[in-house]
Amino acid sequence: MSRESRRREDESYREWHGAYRPYDILREAIIALGVVFTLAVGLTILFSSPDDPPSTIQSWSRSDPVDFVTTATTELDGTSDTGSYGPPYNHNGDGQHLAFIHLQKWLGVSHPINTAQDFVLAPLRSLTHQPALQTAISTYQHAPTTTQTAWTGAYETALGKATATRTGTVTVTPGHYGPVPTIMSSLLTFAQSGGLDGALLTSKQFYQTDYTKPLLFMADGGVLTNRAQQQHLLGSQWGMMNETGSYPGQVWLWLYTFWYQIKPFSTSANGDILVMAVMGALTLAFILIPFLPGIRDLPRRIPIYKLIWRQHYHTKPAPGA
Amino acid sequence: MSAQRRSWTARARERAVGALPPEKLLPDSQPVYMASWIYVFGVLSLASLVMIIASGSILSLKGPAWWHVTGVGHFFNSIHLWSVELFFFFLVIHLWGKYWMAAWRGGRARVWMTGAVAFVVAVPCALTGYVSQQNFDAQWISTQAKDGMNAVGVGAFFNVTNFGQMYSYHVLLLPAAVVALVAAHILLVRKHGIVPPFTLADRGELPARAADPEPAPDPGRVPEADPVGAGRAP
Amino acid sequence: MSFPAAAVFNLNHPAHTVHWHFFSMSASNVVVIVLMLVVFAVAILAPFPRYRGTE
Repeated sequence: MSRESRRREDESYREWHGAYRPYDILREAIIALGVVFTLAVGLTILFSSPDDPPSTIQSWSRSDPVDFVTTATTELDGTSDTGSYGPPYNHNGDGQHLAFIHLQKWLGVSHPINTAQDFVLAPLRSLTHQPALQTAISTYQHAPTTTQTAWTGAYETALGKATATRTGTVTVTPGHYGPVPTIMSSLLTFAQSGGLDGALLTSKQFYQTDYTKPLLFMADGGVLTNRAQQQHLLGSQWGMMNETGSYPGQVWLWLYTFWYQIKPFSTSANGDILVMAVMGALTLAFILIPFLPGIRDLPRRIPIYKLIWRQHYHTKPAPGA
Repeated sequence: MSAQRRSWTARARERAVGALPPEKLLPDSQPVYMASWIYVFGVLSLASLVMIIASGSILSLKGPAWWHVTGVGHFFNSIHLWSVELFFFFLVIHLWGKYWMAAWRGGRARVWMTGAVAFVVAVPCALTGYVSQQNFDAQWISTQAKDGMNAVGVGAFFNVTNFGQMYSYHVLLLPAAVVALVAAHILLVRKHGIVPPFTLADRGELPARAADPEPAPDPGRVPEADPVGAGRAP
Repeated sequence: MSFPAAAVFNLNHPAHTVHWHFFSMSASNVVVIVLMLVVFAVAILAPFPRYRGTE
């Protein structure tokens, strides 16, 4: 088909010069609203909606104190996911990149988090009448970095074999951990009392709506992941599309989550930016379909339209049309 | 007269009325080729959007904690959730239909593009809703989604773990964007009309001449037709 | 505190999963997708009332 004949054919579609029939657009809209209302209320009565209660630092530290203390120790020495994340939380990593494009780094640290200070030391410094704890914190802070790392590293190794007592405390084999066990024991007590949830939230001001700190702390540990795995919400379980319980989820994210299941996206350290790049390109292509040769011609070649307009095609065309 | 031509108001009014005269804005007839159930999915998507906004408005009357503590609140949350599922359900079927009809033909590229962008904006609108639930699902989705956002730098100014920010985007900014895009999409549909069928060579149809001497039927009037038995069943 | 939902069918249990090659989808999502395909096919194929007026 020549470009000129293509253009002429497209022009012919600009306006319909054939017959019309009566049509009540407002009545159709009201009927559609009635149908959707009935469906939504019907589905509500049949299935309701899920509402799994949130985890808290308190519930986490009570149900899995070993995991809590292990995570807290990695926050103290900065080896946790958040501690080594990079922007927008800190400068302890470069973040992801695509070739020379380092968007994560370029956009900078907009939500500064020092995991040692914000998650461990500052909340404990706020506790009064605990001289042994305050001395332990000072001992830790004044020690050289290599000593700090030696203490936390040894403690983390010991925690790998630790158990929780019936009262919810954590016992490890004796070793050279410096003041770390004292710090962690106090943090665990603070967390199990519920005080750490509040301290993490209101540290800067009274009114708060930003849950980044407690959420990142929990995400660094296993509490959210374990619940997610039971509900089939992990990335490897196509979790992005799923919902808690047996409810349908965000089904429209199917293509976005698909890429995470295959290489190189599933194994790359830059998996997220790779997937975003692919989805960005596909989204742009989706918006620009009218201009993409091949894709815009497929409907003509696969004649589903013959089914849609079969009444029109089976009607004798008016003379002179 | 020259004062009128310089008047922004008069010019804007003339352009608007020229593009969308009342009989185009609210027509009472449609082309006879619109004879398929696929055509109802646009208005079903729109009706779902109305249900989303209505149920969302009731939820916002009592604040974000309400639905966790009362049965009535939970009921309206459920309606809001199912309206969202219905919205995307009908929207995707509408999209499939429009693709296979190549509905961008005849100068309708902007109709396609506004619809596509409305879909693309609806996805983060839903996401901000999911992370505003203040339950485990919100905790999980936000701590997962943050990595994708951060990887492309968007996380620096769009923090999915910041409930206050996400609630504002969900209740005001993104619905406003979706509504604006849907309104533009619908007005463009009304302006350009529904795309005619592909011409078939074996029907002897030829592309219309550029300057057609015969006046086209007025889309606001039904040409001497029998009004009984028309269109859809009520 | 989460309010127990008085629904006809209680969907608050971990989802059944459909596994096929490397696809792993919750049963409810599979239902939604299959339903979309079915409804699309029905919309295209179902007979539409014919307009009886003159053209």
